[in-house]
Amino acid sequence: MYFDSYDTVLWPYLFILLGASLPTAIWRWIGVVLVGNIDDGSQWLVLVRCVSTALVAAVIAQLIFEPSGALATFPFYLRIGAALIGFAAFLTMGRRLFIGILFGELALLGGYALL
Amino acid sequence: MPTQESPKSRGVYDWSWFAKGASQLFSLPALILVSAFIGFGGLAREAGISLWQLIFMVPSIWALPSHLILVAGIAAGVPLLAIIPAVALAAIRMLPMTMAFVPEIRVPRSKTWHLLLVSNMIAITAWMHTLQKAPEIPRDGRLPFFVGFAGTLMVATTCAAGLVHQLAASFPGYVMAALYFLTPIYFATSSWNTSRVPAEKLALVLGFCLGPVFFLIVPQVNILFAGVIGGFVAFGFHKLANRQGTG
Repeated sequence: MYFDSYDTVLWPYLFILLGASLPTAIWRWIGVVLVGNIDDGSQWLVLVRCVSTALVAAVIAQLIFEPSGALATFPFYLRIGAALIGFAAFLTMGRRLFIGILFGELALLGGYALL
Repeated sequence: MPTQESPKSRGVYDWSWFAKGASQLFSLPALILVSAFIGFGGLAREAGISLWQLIFMVPSIWALPSHLILVAGIAAGVPLLAIIPAVALAAIRMLPMTMAFVPEIRVPRSKTWHLLLVSNMIAITAWMHTLQKAPEIPRDGRLPFFVGFAGTLMVATTCAAGLVHQLAASFPGYVMAALYFLTPIYFATSSWNTSRVPAEKLALVLGFCLGPVFFLIVPQVNILFAGVIGGFVAFGFHKLANRQGTG
């Protein structure tokens, strides 16, 4: 079953609900039900956090290595270079999100202007 | 743990904190999130998502990694049965996040259904910001503060994404590129800051490196592979490090 499988108005909304809303919300509901029963420092939760973090990191890589749209017109080394500069600035200057974004965007747009 | 009930309130919660939460829309984390959703609006448009589908998906999913996996999947023609596990695995982080969050916002008279309802608004920005502010808020004001902040964020991000969906074509390309670029940096830095054990930082690096590698081998399911393998390897290091520490 694909996003454009059925030519009805409601199918895309059902696709969004089943494909993304429910698989996301289910963890919040399980979390509410389980809270108090599982120790927050339990090893199982550490594994869960590791898999989830690695997955989001793979999404991050995808957004930089294989972007869609306007970002895809920027050279590869400019995207990866700007991302590394932003993250390095974030790590070295007090781990503030704002610093990472500022330096990353400046590197990206600065590099674009120079090319 | 002492419960700090405001003397004025007769209800279970002190809803005067709702407006204070809503006013946090004018904070840096909120600004970054709204900007990221401006980028998402453009991305969704390019993937062929209609305006109403976009307006529906922003608050009903309410987790940017899930949004991105869904939209990228739709654009690449990935079947529903392959999108579900990828989204579910990326959203697993909602489980420990919720479990860390609920004890901070509940009061003795909180009903489970209150918490189930409110849990649907948990996502990284409002979660992190509320946890940071929680020590300054009386216990019965925390849930209203969170609902005020997260609810306002939902409305603002939906409006921003919808507006850009309509206007994206009139923006210069480099503006849209800069907006798309916000999301990966935002994810990377916020994940780094919310990690609790070093293994999570290792998982972040491994996932980032393995994602593109698996893209070359198994393009449609590279996110899934990189997440599971990177996560298990990072957890293995966590176990090894702990064993050496205690033994």
